[in-house]
Amino acid sequence: MIIVKDVHKRYQTDHGPGKWVLQGVSFTIPQKLSVGIVGANGVGKSTLLRIVGGVDQPNKGQVERHCRVSWPMGFGGGLQGSLTGRQNAKFVCRVHGPEQDIPDRLAFIQDFAEIGDAFDEPVKTYSSGMKSRLQFGLSLAFDFDVYISDEVTSAGDASFRAKAAAAFKKLADHAGLIMVSHSDGTLKQFCQAGIWIQNGQAHWFDQIDDALKAYKDSIKK
Amino acid sequence: MSIQTKLDAAGQPTADNSARFGRPSLLITLSVWRALFLREALARLFSGRATWFWLVAEPVFSVAIMLFIFTVIRVRTVGGIDTMLWLMVGMLGFFMFRRTGTQAQNAISANRTLFTYRQVLPVDTALVRAALEALLMVAVAGVLLAGAALLGHSVVPANPLAVLEAFLGLWLAGLGFGLVTSVVIELVPELGKVLKLVMAPLMIVSGVMIPISAVPQPYQGWLMLNPVAHGLEAARLGFAPYYHAVPELSVAYLYAFALVCIFFGLALYRRFATKLVTQ
Repeated sequence: MIIVKDVHKRYQTDHGPGKWVLQGVSFTIPQKLSVGIVGANGVGKSTLLRIVGGVDQPNKGQVERHCRVSWPMGFGGGLQGSLTGRQNAKFVCRVHGPEQDIPDRLAFIQDFAEIGDAFDEPVKTYSSGMKSRLQFGLSLAFDFDVYISDEVTSAGDASFRAKAAAAFKKLADHAGLIMVSHSDGTLKQFCQAGIWIQNGQAHWFDQIDDALKAYKDSIKK
Repeated sequence: MSIQTKLDAAGQPTADNSARFGRPSLLITLSVWRALFLREALARLFSGRATWFWLVAEPVFSVAIMLFIFTVIRVRTVGGIDTMLWLMVGMLGFFMFRRTGTQAQNAISANRTLFTYRQVLPVDTALVRAALEALLMVAVAGVLLAGAALLGHSVVPANPLAVLEAFLGLWLAGLGFGLVTSVVIELVPELGKVLKLVMAPLMIVSGVMIPISAVPQPYQGWLMLNPVAHGLEAARLGFAPYYHAVPELSVAYLYAFALVCIFFGLALYRRFATKLVTQ
């Protein structure tokens, strides 16, 4: 269960504090519920994901996580360009778990990413699709109660998208998912509930369709 | 019935729920240090073509150039000891301080993306970088001293413990300096430029190339306010007990500076823990 209470967020700019991105966002995500976040570009979807994931801190308000929450998948975060995919994967494994699990996890990541020999090449030689394959595999290698996904499949090709969809489906029966996507199909496929962000406020919908409808209606005006 | 779990500011499980998460906080920190250390070592030694070579070659060239200049002006001994030894120990000690300092200083900005993983705290990156630098400097010192020994210079320290004490003090001072400045630069980025200007003459005023014992009073006293100068003189005295060190030499002063800096630096990390990971 994740409880977001009255979260306010603004970023520090060169000219002092910037405009409020989130202003008093509150909601509760029950266990194993998959939630899609919709809204226009720049309204704070990724900001909210980062705060829920604990990567960034709100200026006011708080987030209670009563479960293991993944880092936001699909962030460029943490891939060191001069190290190979395998070395990067090992780093994440070492940070997250006991040493004896590393070979299994590495095998899983290599198998999932399907980037062939490039797994032992420096990450700076990867294309954006290869990077997202690796990042996606990295987050799936660990057991979380809630996975956070920020447009993670957008750079992948058809086979990777199919693979990611299958993986998300498999997750759904033992874990929750919080995802940002601009594709209605993806959201409808994986999410039950929806959050629509507008003007710093978050509106909760028990059905993702209602959230998408509210978002679409707001654009038409 | 689900167990209520509490996470601290960094998202790590607090002690009371470690059973649920399977890993106590100390173990998490240790595995983060291990992971960061291996990652930093790989990036530092193998990031480019023969990067490891330049790590050693750079100080070797610095010493060689200075030695050449001293040879041209026919300085055979400084303060009663072999010029080569005097220069080499001074430079090694100075690099021990400066390299550790700059590595720790840049730790936060270089590893910012890693804070995506909530287990990695900013202070971890600075501590690990300083530890790696100490190891690298030991290797560099070994190569330099072995080279000098092959050229027929006497490089065996008369008092190895005193040498270790001086180098450890310089390393701790570098660590403390890096800890404090890394947070300060993060909070006020402009100070980074000021700091660079202030640090530029440090090599000269620390007595790496000019013997401070030859500087007249009261200027000598002023120069000895710099803790690094104490460390370098102590290291030279450890190699050769007949070396004419500066009379004010005090290793305790160096250690006091280092420990105060480390304490202050760690306190800063504690105080600004949230601010350092917030964007």
